[in-house]
Amino acid sequence: MQKQANEIKLEKHGDVTLLDIKGDVTSFSEPSLNSAYKDSSSSGAKKLLLRFQEDAYINSGGIALLIQILAQTKRNNQKIGVTGVSDHFKKVFHMVGITRFATIYPTQDEALKALSSAAV
Amino acid sequence: MRIISPPLEKETVAFTLPSMLGYEHIAMGGLAAFAKRLGFSPSRIEDLKTAVAEAYINAVQHGNKGKADARVIVAFNFKDGILGISVFDEGDGLKEEPKDPDIERILDDLDLPTGFGVFLIKRLMDKFEYRKSSGQLNEIRMSMNLRTP
Repeated sequence: MQKQANEIKLEKHGDVTLLDIKGDVTSFSEPSLNSAYKDSSSSGAKKLLLRFQEDAYINSGGIALLIQILAQTKRNNQKIGVTGVSDHFKKVFHMVGITRFATIYPTQDEALKALSSAAV
Repeated sequence: MRIISPPLEKETVAFTLPSMLGYEHIAMGGLAAFAKRLGFSPSRIEDLKTAVAEAYINAVQHGNKGKADARVIVAFNFKDGILGISVFDEGDGLKEEPKDPDIERILDDLDLPTGFGVFLIKRLMDKFEYRKSSGQLNEIRMSMNLRTP
């Protein structure tokens, strides 16, 4: 079965960098996700918003990758939020503890508003 | 290639899948259709899909360990209000259950980011066990009661 690569676009919204992640988030996402994180960080981003597709499949490999990104944001004193997550994966993110370190916002607008006014 | 099959009951549905990541979607789709016909709620069906996907991934990565000609068998049936799911691989089985991941220790680089698959299966399903089954197969078995909200 063919591996599906992610397309990740970076968008600047004031001082927030949006990572728009298309496709499923699995261990196959490692190169694209790490590359997008490095690109955003090297341009000085201090506030990041990960936007997923609501119908995206996220498995344990993808969760491990997201937690590795969280670890890097912690080391680099960056603030991170998440949006576009289905109710099921909100529950999964809560179970594994992701929500203790990254807020899940119901919409992109709410996320951008909250992150823009947040102190780093 | 010789495919070893576990003994299956009359109304058990079974898929014999290649041992390659990506094919978990076949098991997820089949199980979702089965559970929908039985009357499981949409949110419980999502739980089932994640659990069977994680058991399949575990079978590929830790059971069959990349053996090209190995197979993964996913079987499910419904009896007395309980949906039972078994995922078989050709490995030696888990020596010990992995400890639950601790995100704080992972973020502090004290632990590796592993163990999420079994952790999620345990949290999403009503019952979970693994065992060496008849023949040469290793089995993860889990179940969900139709009446569990």
